[in-house]
Amino acid sequence: MTDGGAEPSDGTLELQLSEPERRVVRTLQGVEDALVEEGELADRLGLPLEAVRGSLQRLRSKQLAVVEEETREHRRLTPRGDEALANGLPERRLLEALRSAEGHAVPPEAFPALGLEGEERSAAIGILRRRGWLAEGVPFRLRAPPAADAVLPEETALRAVAEGTEVDATTFQALRRRGLVAVDHRSTKRWALSEQGAQLVVPTDERPLLGPLTPELLRTGAWHDAAFRPYDVRAAVPFVTGARPHPYLAWVREFEEILLGLGFLEAEGPLLETEFWNADALYMPQEHPARSIHDVLTVRGVTGRGPDRDLLERVAAVHEGRPLPGEPEPVGAGWRYPYDRSVAARPVLRSQTTAVSARFLAGRPTPPFRMFCLDRNFRYDPVDPTHHVEFGQCEGVLGGEGITIRHLIGVFRAVAEAIGIHELRLRPSYFPFTEPSVEGYVRHPRLGWIEVFPGGMFRPEVLRPLGVEVPVAAWGIGVTRLAMVALGLSDIRDLYDDDLAHLTGREG
Amino acid sequence: MPKATLSARRVARLVGRDLPRHELEELLFASKSQVEGGEGDALEVEGTADRLDLLTESGIALHLQGVLGVATGLPAAPAARHGEVVAEVDASVSPLRPHLAGVVVTPPEGAAVDADLLDEAIRFQELLHGTIGLDRRLSSLGIYPLERIRPPIRYALEPLGQVRFVPLDGVDETSAEAFFAGHRLALAYGSLGRSLAGCLTLRDATGAVLSLPPVLNGRTKGEARPGDGALLLEATGTRQSRVLDALALLTLLFAARGWGATPITVRTPDGAPGPSAIAPRRLHLPSATLTALSGESLASGEVETLLERARFSVRAEARGWRIEAAPWRVDLHGPVDVAEDLLIARGLRAETGLLPPAATRGARSDADRFRARVSSLLLGLGFTPLYTTVLVSERLVVATGRDRALALTNPVSEQFARLRDSLVVALAAALEHNVRHGYPQRLSEVGPVVVPSTAAESGGETRYHAGLVLAEERAGFATGAALVDYLMRTLGAVGVREPASLPGTIPGRAAVVRLAGVTVGEVGELAPALLEELSVPVPAVWAEVDLTALELLLAPVRAAATAVPRS
Repeated sequence: MTDGGAEPSDGTLELQLSEPERRVVRTLQGVEDALVEEGELADRLGLPLEAVRGSLQRLRSKQLAVVEEETREHRRLTPRGDEALANGLPERRLLEALRSAEGHAVPPEAFPALGLEGEERSAAIGILRRRGWLAEGVPFRLRAPPAADAVLPEETALRAVAEGTEVDATTFQALRRRGLVAVDHRSTKRWALSEQGAQLVVPTDERPLLGPLTPELLRTGAWHDAAFRPYDVRAAVPFVTGARPHPYLAWVREFEEILLGLGFLEAEGPLLETEFWNADALYMPQEHPARSIHDVLTVRGVTGRGPDRDLLERVAAVHEGRPLPGEPEPVGAGWRYPYDRSVAARPVLRSQTTAVSARFLAGRPTPPFRMFCLDRNFRYDPVDPTHHVEFGQCEGVLGGEGITIRHLIGVFRAVAEAIGIHELRLRPSYFPFTEPSVEGYVRHPRLGWIEVFPGGMFRPEVLRPLGVEVPVAAWGIGVTRLAMVALGLSDIRDLYDDDLAHLTGREG
Repeated sequence: MPKATLSARRVARLVGRDLPRHELEELLFASKSQVEGGEGDALEVEGTADRLDLLTESGIALHLQGVLGVATGLPAAPAARHGEVVAEVDASVSPLRPHLAGVVVTPPEGAAVDADLLDEAIRFQELLHGTIGLDRRLSSLGIYPLERIRPPIRYALEPLGQVRFVPLDGVDETSAEAFFAGHRLALAYGSLGRSLAGCLTLRDATGAVLSLPPVLNGRTKGEARPGDGALLLEATGTRQSRVLDALALLTLLFAARGWGATPITVRTPDGAPGPSAIAPRRLHLPSATLTALSGESLASGEVETLLERARFSVRAEARGWRIEAAPWRVDLHGPVDVAEDLLIARGLRAETGLLPPAATRGARSDADRFRARVSSLLLGLGFTPLYTTVLVSERLVVATGRDRALALTNPVSEQFARLRDSLVVALAAALEHNVRHGYPQRLSEVGPVVVPSTAAESGGETRYHAGLVLAEERAGFATGAALVDYLMRTLGAVGVREPASLPGTIPGRAAVVRLAGVTVGEVGELAPALLEELSVPVPAVWAEVDLTALELLLAPVRAAATAVPRS
């Protein structure tokens, strides 16, 4: 936890102040209508200046103190100025040397001994000549020197700068050009309490305030004689991440709960199927375009086997439009082609969970029955933001005496209501294994009408060979799309995202 | 789903009344055809695979006439005003493409084929080639100007050297050899219409080549043009049902415009008469079937009205109705198909939905509940759950040494070329993707794998595994083994570790976990070579439990623990 704070707080604000902060508040509360400089405050409190500055800044962040900052011009002597003040200005040293020299004349060779070289020598000679005290020519001679006790204006100005008193501006600028004086800008912070700070009632409890509770405090019992400094509970805290349920899997389980609530049993089936269960048993003709290698994925290195002979012959009969063995009339006109029994055994990656329904029905469940399977399927689909080689589908069947298309629509409505969608409309559709076939559209608040519920009544050509004698409604909801809408995803690949930053919420 | 671009104006003209676009779109939404786009007069429609007739202006018009009450019952089908046309099928075609059927269509008095009709016929012909024709393999169509043909027509397989013709899109006569060697359509479909030394031909009595089925018509006598009168519609193929269906659907375009239609006489090698493509389809709709599907007991009068709107002729009979449908309604396999048309004519309404009558109890599968329990344990251990694809990349299968993983015959890409047989492939991929995120990393997945199995019907068994990988500076075998012990102990099992050589792991630092003699788990330190391949800079330990095996072994224990005493 942090013990810092940047936020104004409620009535416990006074409790959140550290001991130095409390002392600063109490001191400033004793100063009426006046701003106090930091240094002065430090002196009054007997605390180090830096500690007082820190307290003042924290009080300011809590909006208990205000600060006024003033920038002033500060004139000072440079190191050369300090030296001139101590040893005399160059012109003074030249003047005094001329006074004491024989004949009041000094040859140029004597200047280094006087400490007059370079710019200082030139300056000294120039000043004495401008004042008319120095005759023209070499060696240098005094012509009309001032009185022995006369003070030069530059000397007066230099001393005034050193003492911080007023100084003639022109002379100051002349000294500045000679590098004897300089100007700094210094800011001064002066503090006062804000209105809130002035009204704050600072506790008089003088017990020390404790920060974190430590094992040491517990062991020694020292906390008995101290108070705990309250924390600013609104302050920022570290960003914690960790393992959490996968968003898609969590959505899937919620969706499954809807179907469980409607009385559906969950079923599963193999991902690697035979063509028999994936298509033949569903009355999809063997030359159906959706069964080509451009739609269905196949594997190499394994061989499958068909179902038992009796079932295979029954399915072959409906495909070819022949009567089921032992029956006088065909179930329907059939696809009127020679059914290839060897195709039935070929392994394919399941392209629809309807294959699970076919297996479920072949088990001849006792009516009434309801089953669902929400699982993966595969198709030959190059991957891009809206297509994927794997996709989820929720298959369901609803069978029993008296089950009709109206019950299928009823389930669509119930599921739509459960996911918070109240508008449903239907249009005819087509699947080789259902008739009538419908497509349910729901109105999404953002996306408009979207296809969600494809389904229908299983054809007799599907049910009769499997030995099912009651009507069966079936659907296969494209849950991948539904999940993307629910999870706000626009790229199907994000469902399979394995980036820890996303899965653990590191990105918020 | 198949698509077509049609003319809204021509649809309205064929319906016989004005149809504002929004009304047309609403009406089609309630049919098996739907407007997907198009501007101005263009109508881009998408239809279902069973109702290809609704991808034509003619088919939509006949449907809408019924819906709007402009015309109901079976569409009129006058006979063609033309004498008998005979086609002889030579025995030589049998091995290659044995079936032929034809229909002569004649325009109403004083009319002729116009550019719009011809244009629609050619486009629909191509659509039929690509759909029920299965890219011309099962059936293909030809359209010929009958007035320029002298019957009988002969369909035969001829030596290539004897065949010369002017291709429909050419100007010069060419030999069959040259045509098959270079023409774009011959390159695409030529194999369907030729053997080693011969090719299929359709000639008239003068010997002129009408076409080389199923590739291209000849120009001289095989090109129908605006202004032509009677036309010969012909279909050849390898599947008689598809030949007849394709021909019936093409005939629709002409029948909807009042043209007469008569089948040609096909003389087959065995002397059996060829079946007619344009005979009405007759079906019986039992009232019990209708009630069972619709969930309502409809009055007979209402049923008849609705069926007539669906463009059937209807006659009540004992326990149902006798139905006659147009020949192009090739989707009608039985009573349920007729019942669907009735429901469409009545309108599918969401308000009619009912909750199922009998109560059943919903429940998750035992396997799912078991997996959910393991998922919770892994989450509690701080492992981030993944949901990754069962199809995995060839590169990672090789890198992890999981050579047993089944390979796809037709993968969409290298990234999805193998069926994982272990979750280590997915976990390795995740480690690779997360190298920028720092460590420790704890990743897990509970999901399916597919393992080759002769016991499985498809040759591969779907099993569910729970896999985890821990990557951090101090990750090692002991941690992985301890995690597996924890999982199994919590699930009620105590496994025994045995040294094992596992792909992708450091030799001597891997084990299988056995329970009752069955291998239920694997654990090992990932090999540095694999970590290097994945650019993972820290050690990692992987463990995997076969939940399918474990659940099977634990099921009797669980059943005993939960059994309710009888006394």
